[in-house]
Amino acid sequence: MLSRVADSVFWMARYLERTDNLLRLLRTDYIASQDELLDYNWQLLADSFGSDRPEQKVKVENYRQALHHLLLSRPHECSVFTNIVRVRENARSVQDYITKELWQALNDYYHHILEPKTENLITHNDPVTALDFLLRDSIIFYGTLDVTMNRGEGYTFLNLGKYMERCLQNLEIVEFKRKQMVKAEVETVHWKYLLYALSGYEFHTKYYKNALNAKEVIHQVLFNTQFPHSISYSLGQMLRYFQRLADFSQPQQFQEIEGLLQKLIHSMNTYQQEYNISVIEKLIPDIRQQFNHLNARLASVYFGYS
Amino acid sequence: MSFHHFLSSYQSPPDTWDEMQAQGEIRKHYQVFLDSLEKASLGDLTQKDELAKKLFMSQGITFTVYSDGEGIEKIFPFDIIPRIITGAEWTHIEAGIRQRLKALNIFLKDVYHEQAIIKDKIIPASLIYSCPNYLKEMVNVDVPFDIYTHISGIDLIRDSDGSFYVLEDNLRTPSGVSYMLENRNMTYRIFPGLLPKNNVRSVKDYPDLLLKNLLALSNRQTSNPTVVLLTPGIYNSAYFEHTTLARLMGVELVEGRDLVVNDTKVYMKTTAGLRQVDVIYRRVDDEYLDPLVFNPGSMLGVSGLYYAYRAGNVAIINAPGNGVADDKAVYTFVPSMIRYYLNEEPILKTVPTYYMDNRDHFELVFSQVRKMVIKKTNESGGYGMLMGHAATDEHIAAYRSEVEKNPRQFIAQPMIHLSSVPCYINNKIQPRHVDLRPFALYGPQGIEIVPGGLTRVALREGSLVVNSSQGGGSKDTWVLG
Repeated sequence: MLSRVADSVFWMARYLERTDNLLRLLRTDYIASQDELLDYNWQLLADSFGSDRPEQKVKVENYRQALHHLLLSRPHECSVFTNIVRVRENARSVQDYITKELWQALNDYYHHILEPKTENLITHNDPVTALDFLLRDSIIFYGTLDVTMNRGEGYTFLNLGKYMERCLQNLEIVEFKRKQMVKAEVETVHWKYLLYALSGYEFHTKYYKNALNAKEVIHQVLFNTQFPHSISYSLGQMLRYFQRLADFSQPQQFQEIEGLLQKLIHSMNTYQQEYNISVIEKLIPDIRQQFNHLNARLASVYFGYS
Repeated sequence: MSFHHFLSSYQSPPDTWDEMQAQGEIRKHYQVFLDSLEKASLGDLTQKDELAKKLFMSQGITFTVYSDGEGIEKIFPFDIIPRIITGAEWTHIEAGIRQRLKALNIFLKDVYHEQAIIKDKIIPASLIYSCPNYLKEMVNVDVPFDIYTHISGIDLIRDSDGSFYVLEDNLRTPSGVSYMLENRNMTYRIFPGLLPKNNVRSVKDYPDLLLKNLLALSNRQTSNPTVVLLTPGIYNSAYFEHTTLARLMGVELVEGRDLVVNDTKVYMKTTAGLRQVDVIYRRVDDEYLDPLVFNPGSMLGVSGLYYAYRAGNVAIINAPGNGVADDKAVYTFVPSMIRYYLNEEPILKTVPTYYMDNRDHFELVFSQVRKMVIKKTNESGGYGMLMGHAATDEHIAAYRSEVEKNPRQFIAQPMIHLSSVPCYINNKIQPRHVDLRPFALYGPQGIEIVPGGLTRVALREGSLVVNSSQGGGSKDTWVLG
């Protein structure tokens, strides 16, 4: 397939996964702030998931402002709105490659976020309704993708983008939660909401069977291969999909990227063996750096970046 | 209030051929369609109209209008009531277009090779050489199967006596075919069952016929030639059409930056390295095709493409340089071409045309400017046009001085009253003027025309301008079997 198309499909999936993760986090944290975490630090949230550029930073005074900044702000380069626009632009440039149904699902997503009703819910009414509404579009996208897309190269790059973004977001969210806990009296509440944000709470109670504790929560989020949001699971998926490219790639290129993926998996296995709670101090920067390198090499080898 | 009640108050404009009725009587070929709506209320039609809008929006069949730095999505206006053409009318149109294209294609070969038509003084040499779209780079370039006009859209109108006139030949990169296909898809959603009931001929074959022709143009000894569609990119107003055609044909949609020329061969950059391209269906204008030969500032084309084409290593569809044949000043000579090359009488009529660089014509035109349309010879899309009946005195004076500066760039034609059809606008059935653009495909095995085309509607009351850029819309076109 065309390098440009592979690139667009990959980034389309990354922006979509990023959006999905952010929506879930906002949903659970908003609910938490209404019920359990009454002194919720909205500025920390806006800073952690907003743009790093100084001119894009804003001061948020309440949850409405924070939600607006992260969800709907047009000039903000990291808002959900901007992400959806990017997803749609990428999809538009590969409209002939993705299925008509998938394009329509994304197009509807875009039109929904533009609806005045969405803004009204977020700025004046119940934000959860708006978040549910948008999350449903995200699920429709994944369903449509699964049902309609052919399993060729494009599907592989799409999944590589999805799982890479999932890992990176996972690291972001764990870091964010740790920052939230610095002044917290009861840590476990934060860990519980971390699991909620990753749709992993129910699984946790069934699998670990202990009272909620940081070590097991982080174990699940990083290493548990039955948990679809964990890094180990996502890496396994990336390797599985990537190996399908063997027949479509030049051998040297294929081996290089496969090697980088194997190395990531090996690193995770090593961290798991020596696992204790402090390992994440080392793990997070290391794994993030390896992903960034992988991303750059994929761009160079498969997407034609020079 | 019922549909028929409103129909009874339908008044077609004077001196105009109405496609649906003649002297208050409904024409036979509209009868089946109208009968099926007998029980429909205007509310039903409004619902259909809304459904069509919703479907267009959700499918992203839109264009973007920018205001205050933000893009607003608009759909291309679609009118729900189909335009109906009888089988006999279509046979006539089809034969006329076939004949015309055959002659135009021979003309292109001739004008870029022997130039017999100039030597025999059928067409003045000055007319050809002064045409900005005559490409000297195409002189003595042999094109595959001697075909230049692979895809053309011939604009037809109907005068008050019902006869068809050719208004324009679009032989470069005609657009609109995706609307022909999408409008048909819309019709079976809003009028279930009516297509079979009326025995409407299908237009669905278009992408298959096009792909068959494109594959046949490959010059490489391979069972699986690579065909691509070259688009200027997502900001082009016809981008939706490019994606639709690429998807329906299953070919790669490429941009200039996806292609590279090496050793006079064209390659596309894929995830597995470079892959040779055999056939390019380009939707990029001649001027932007190759920055080394044409416009050096072009970011849309591919450096070296022209040389690959000359070497016969890639086919470009349509051939570059076709603009000389659809130039509005060359247009008047098409009947002479048909007589000269084919020894036949033209089947379709041509609108009388006056040359502004002929002083007698110039005076004649401006003495009755209210009855005239003056156009630029190399513009399309309804731009740069003066409609005498609707212009102010100041506008006419300004236009006149513009023409005087460069008379070769203008022609004038008497105003033709385009035929009218019923449209559903503002909850009323109202007549509006239309033209018709059938799409013809010229391949190694001959000319094929899918039965239908794009009917463009001037949505403003009394307007004769059908271009989408100027307030025009479209409707489905039914050719009855």
